[in-house]
Amino acid sequence: MSDKPAIGVPSGGHHHPVHRIWTLAVDGLAALATAFIAVLMIVICADIVVRNGFGGSLPLVSELGAMMVVLIVALQLPSAIRAGRLAQVEMVIGALEVSQPRLAGLLNALFCLAGAVILGLIAWASFGIFSGDWASGDFIGIPGLGTLPTWPFRGLITLGMSVAAAEFLFKALRYLHASFFSGKGPS
Amino acid sequence: MSPIDIGWLSIGALIVLIVVGMPIGVSMLVTSFVSVMFIRSDMVAVRMLGQVANDSLEEYLYAVVPLFVLMGLLVTASGVGRDTFDVFQRLLRRFTAGLGQATVFANAVFAAITGISIASATVFSRVAVPEMIRHGYTRKFATGVVAGSSVLGMLIPPSLLFIVYAVQAEQSVGRMFLAGIGPGFVLAIMFCATIYVLAKTQPKFVFDAEQPLVEQEPINAWAILRMATPIVALIALVLGGLYGGLFNPTEAGAAGAAGALVIALLRRSLNRRTFWKLLVETGQITVSVLFLILAASFFSRMLALSGMPNALAVFLLDGPIGPWGFLLAYIALVIILGFLIDSISIMLIMLPIALPVASAAGFDLIWFGVITIIAIEIGLLTPPFGLSVYTIKAALGDPDLKVGEIFRGAFPFVIAMFVTIAIIVAFPLIATWLPRL
Repeated sequence: MSDKPAIGVPSGGHHHPVHRIWTLAVDGLAALATAFIAVLMIVICADIVVRNGFGGSLPLVSELGAMMVVLIVALQLPSAIRAGRLAQVEMVIGALEVSQPRLAGLLNALFCLAGAVILGLIAWASFGIFSGDWASGDFIGIPGLGTLPTWPFRGLITLGMSVAAAEFLFKALRYLHASFFSGKGPS
Repeated sequence: MSPIDIGWLSIGALIVLIVVGMPIGVSMLVTSFVSVMFIRSDMVAVRMLGQVANDSLEEYLYAVVPLFVLMGLLVTASGVGRDTFDVFQRLLRRFTAGLGQATVFANAVFAAITGISIASATVFSRVAVPEMIRHGYTRKFATGVVAGSSVLGMLIPPSLLFIVYAVQAEQSVGRMFLAGIGPGFVLAIMFCATIYVLAKTQPKFVFDAEQPLVEQEPINAWAILRMATPIVALIALVLGGLYGGLFNPTEAGAAGAAGALVIALLRRSLNRRTFWKLLVETGQITVSVLFLILAASFFSRMLALSGMPNALAVFLLDGPIGPWGFLLAYIALVIILGFLIDSISIMLIMLPIALPVASAAGFDLIWFGVITIIAIEIGLLTPPFGLSVYTIKAALGDPDLKVGEIFRGAFPFVIAMFVTIAIIVAFPLIATWLPRL
């Protein structure tokens, strides 16, 4: 599993400011998720020490830990899509990229579009959950010991999934562009 | 069309999409979404999709995935694997094909602090392969041993695959971990026996024609103690804490990652930059695993809605095949899928279908899990997609080394794994004795 660029997707050459801002946004979300992993380790270790050393337990740790797992995935998904790190079988598509580059490009574009649609639906459904939690004031934790509202988490999940859907869409466009307009096969 | 038919069709569509090359997680989401649309309605499908994305991963236990991955990457970076190999190399050098045996033992011990086979394959291809070649072993055998014994990483706790299985099968993670110890031990013994038999009967497979004499350093008890301390301390921390009742599995992951971080810092093998790089890598592995789990939980909810697995259970168990026929067919199917897709995807696709059948057949689900995982791991060593083999090829970075050579070297170990599955099928107590204690 390496950060190899996906075959047939031209990565350089786009120095448009919008493109740069978009790249920064995707990297920013991924960095936030990466930091959450370190936070997760520290918080859980603190909980172990407090519980075994002082007999008490930190509030919210298990609820927060569970919520952070969802966040880590949602926020890192766009960068995983861009880096081509989602598990896939490359037997057929890899052979096509050599023998039928245009067909392979078209298929890859279709796969990315399917991903964009399904993640878009997830983002839409998550937005519904976000507004529901916002309106009802849903929270995690136990009242009196420590609680956190859930809507900020739902908002971040919605944000991550929307950006991931858009990233799939852009990737599909790049595949289409590379196979039909630039006139050259995959590099 | 009945919901059961839709269930079958969705599996067919899923396999076609995956083989053509759609990302596996996306394939599972798309086919499940469309199937729920046909079984119920589009509004139900959208609502289920939102629930899956928000709730299916909201599980404290899954926090263990990034933590164990981080721990594995940290110990890899800090050179603990090399020391483990050195300890066994010095202890075992008088035995037949001692370096091969040392690789197996070092892998078994290293497995107790990492949950991913890929970590073991990376470490030992850089550490053990050059050493074996220097001592006159063939490259085929050296890489084959590393590929074979990297499989132990998924069997000996802590193991990512066991965690995923435990959640899918609603078993306790601590018990699943215990269930892996006995079979891991049996597999290690089988690997050692394979090496011994190969060295005695097929010396050309194992050794080059002329064996260079390399002078041996004397065994120094103090040096061995110093090299063994970090890994023994980590194992004691993670497994001792888990079974001593101090931690739950998630906390064992956090404590292990923190312990590995301390070791890496003490050995000065980490600066801020490399630590951030390891964290980023951890995040990437985590998202690729957990996104699959998210997609698979939609797939399994869709299958449950279709009623297909229960219909399959009735058909298989009341028909001429019976429970044991089902088990054989299942093992064969898992191994065949292992030729095509990665370990966690196989488990996430097969288990929603197979678990209802296995529990209707009255199988012990802990035992069933151990067999599933060994069968899945055979796919790590077989062409065309033996992940361990490609990891070794990438880690060594030697353009002369052909993957075919590694696959041939690993083949004897594939046979050893088949024998181990047969032993565990015949003697379930090897897996179930410890967890049922």
